[in-house]
Amino acid sequence: MSASDVVEITGVVKRFGDFTAIHDASLTVRKGEVHAIVGENGAGKSTLMNILYGLLHRDAGEVKLFQESVNFSGPAEAIAAGVGMVHQHFKLAPTFTVADNIILGSEPMRSLGRLDRERAIRETGEISKRYGLDLDPRAIISSLAVGLRQRVEILKALYREAQVLILDEPTAVLTPQETRELFATIRTLAENGHSIIFITHKLREVLAVSDRISVMRQGRIVATLDNKDVTAQEIASLMVGRTVLLRVNKSKAKASDEALLRVDGLTARGERGETAVDDLSLTVRSGEIVGLAGVQGNGQDELVECIAGLRRQVSGTIDICGRRAAADPRANRAAGLAYIPADRGGVGLSLDSAIWENLTVGHVEEFGRGPMLAIRAARQRAGSLIQSFDIRGAELDKRAGSLSGGNQQKVQVARELTRDARLVLAEQPSQGVDIGAIESIHRILVEMRDAGRAVFVISADLDEIFSLSDRILVIYRGRIVADLLTEETDAETVGRYMGGLDEPAPPDQHKPDTGSGDEASAHVR
Amino acid sequence: MSAEAAVPTGGHFSLAGLVKPLLQPLIAVAIAVVVGGLLVLSLGENPFEIYWLLISGSLVGWPNFLVTLQMMSPLLFTGLAVAISFRAGLWNIGAEGQMIIGALFAGIAGFAVDLPTFLHIPFCLAAAFLGGLLWALIPAVLRVWLNVNEIVVCLMMNPIALLFSGYVSTHLLKAPGPTNKLPDIAETAVLPTFSLYSQVNAGFIIGLALCLLFAAINGWTKKGFEWKIMGLAPRFAYYGGIKVPLHAVVVMMISGGIAGLGGAEQVLGEYRAFYDNFSPGYGFDGIAVAMLANFNPIGVVLAAFLFGALNGGSAVLQMMTGLSKYLVQVLQFIIVLILAAQFTWGWLRSRKNAITAQEDRLEPETEES
Repeated sequence: MSASDVVEITGVVKRFGDFTAIHDASLTVRKGEVHAIVGENGAGKSTLMNILYGLLHRDAGEVKLFQESVNFSGPAEAIAAGVGMVHQHFKLAPTFTVADNIILGSEPMRSLGRLDRERAIRETGEISKRYGLDLDPRAIISSLAVGLRQRVEILKALYREAQVLILDEPTAVLTPQETRELFATIRTLAENGHSIIFITHKLREVLAVSDRISVMRQGRIVATLDNKDVTAQEIASLMVGRTVLLRVNKSKAKASDEALLRVDGLTARGERGETAVDDLSLTVRSGEIVGLAGVQGNGQDELVECIAGLRRQVSGTIDICGRRAAADPRANRAAGLAYIPADRGGVGLSLDSAIWENLTVGHVEEFGRGPMLAIRAARQRAGSLIQSFDIRGAELDKRAGSLSGGNQQKVQVARELTRDARLVLAEQPSQGVDIGAIESIHRILVEMRDAGRAVFVISADLDEIFSLSDRILVIYRGRIVADLLTEETDAETVGRYMGGLDEPAPPDQHKPDTGSGDEASAHVR
Repeated sequence: MSAEAAVPTGGHFSLAGLVKPLLQPLIAVAIAVVVGGLLVLSLGENPFEIYWLLISGSLVGWPNFLVTLQMMSPLLFTGLAVAISFRAGLWNIGAEGQMIIGALFAGIAGFAVDLPTFLHIPFCLAAAFLGGLLWALIPAVLRVWLNVNEIVVCLMMNPIALLFSGYVSTHLLKAPGPTNKLPDIAETAVLPTFSLYSQVNAGFIIGLALCLLFAAINGWTKKGFEWKIMGLAPRFAYYGGIKVPLHAVVVMMISGGIAGLGGAEQVLGEYRAFYDNFSPGYGFDGIAVAMLANFNPIGVVLAAFLFGALNGGSAVLQMMTGLSKYLVQVLQFIIVLILAAQFTWGWLRSRKNAITAQEDRLEPETEES
């Protein structure tokens, strides 16, 4: 190994029972480099990094840090050795200040065990200035935007003098603008000699920020490449192990004038009683796919629940296929709604029930013979759905929860789209779904459109919105702030609306990436 | 080509499918037997002798066996009542109170009305069913319309039922004499018994028939299917167009009614009058029976038999040795504890699986050419 290698992982194996999550993985990270680890959900990226961070124990292999063999028994030792990790879900105390959170666990003390608050604030200020991460040390976490909270997490690691910083899916919760700022931070840190390990499954980000890219597939590192030598297409193929169709093949939409979903002046409250949907109106017509873009938490969930009949609105009306919708899922389904929920475990499936049972809910009347249920017929239909929707690993009597995310999604899709329903409401259709399954789910949605149904896609993933939709609506603070034709807009514009910036920002000089046509369709998840 | 042929479905009725559901309760019983054995040992008795006494005292010889059937009769009803509600995700732990009210209604209908036998018995049974149903309706309605936790309400309804029936049987309609009871029921309302040795009566047959009926309902009807989905995933059921609130009320009413029939079995078949405070806790034992049965009506028959045998054997045990009959309760409580622990463990594990499935799971399906 060369002297510049700060992390050297050799032949690491990790098993969970009979299941081998990491097979013989080897990886080196150099000083001052941004090293992206890409792979589908479940490829083992997080598991490998959790081993490096001391959260999991390896079953075989060696981990070297700064040329020394290490075997951490917990994150505390990893932190002491100079490894920091920012998890996908932040681990901050929301009612504490920025400075409190940063020093938590390694507090500066005065005599007699008293906390030195002033020093904490001073040091926090210094460190945020040093890395150009502007933050008020006295601000309360819960008052900060998501992007700023992430900065706190990063500063927290830097305060503990992390030389190796692991970022687990850092962009999942960020707007495009916040993502760009994060990338600038990452570059600064790398120039200062830190090594950044960046876990993601979004190819655009990988190409925008990393020096080297390691691709994981099914617990193996299948390749480590220099960024300048590869294309998104090549990485995608390595991730799945075959050639992937990145662009959704679809013809131009032939939208009719018939509105299958009409929302008019809808206002709804969220869980805490806040106005989540604010006098919102929209229309989805037969024969088109409309995408709803927006940063999570801007009223999408409440809007979808109102349409599905799972939430009662405060005011406004919803019409499904010309019939007035009520707060009753049964009535809305009867009116012609097929709903693919994002919450598979809670709403869309019964994970502890057999697959045939999951495929039969919502179709019970079809198999009713008086009070009896025609179980043979229901099972037979479930069997043919498993085949025609290619639900891998499925057996009629297996628990739905035993399937992978992608195949669970296919169970939902198969059940919903085989109903005689003209409006398809697809919420985060590719969340937690691997690339192969995304392809087929997208293809099915396009087929639905071509068959004259109306498809309404709600997604936090701009790539998905762009590759699927004919028309893009942007939701911000419970209102539709933009209604754009996909071919006439770009990710940057949509991103600005998502961030609530109505005025187009001045063009950015050091742009790491704009979502011009090609990259936008380089869509991997 | 039929889809059944192409997709590996596993046999609908395979041997493994029959044995597997028995495994968990058998393990619980086995652990209880071992722990109970150690307890007996620490008390200076020989566990093998004690267990043999329990078995012989409950199963060997017609008289003992018939007593066991008598002891299991009320548990068939309360166990089934609890199993039906638990399977649908409704935690009806109020079977005790529902049974008491059912018994009270049957007791009143039994002495206050003059009917020929072929009408009087069904009339009393209907009254008992109605009594239990009404008592269960209160928590059901509070749950569905006001979202009040049914566990708490059910629990509170139990002492209310006991005290209310006590008021009726010691004041309002008290039979003359020193005993706190209602007047004896008419001969026309008596459920026939089969033997001089025990009080086992036609109610046992009714209980068995109900268990078989609900096994069929669970397995073959739309309602049975919908109740099961509702129990495992209520939000999914609601989203899928199942009328969850309505079904919840219906299931609670049926459950309460069946518990009420258990009261009728006691009054019409065993005591022949409503006695104040007659139940040694059959409604609570029903929860244990339902859990041991894994909410399966056929399992309820087996679990009720086990508990009945333990209760029947305990009397013999007390007579023949210095041990208290409460040893049997200790065994029953250990079984419940273990089942509850397994239940919690399974729940925790399924949650953990759900989390790991999202975060870190290989997806073998991508292994495609």
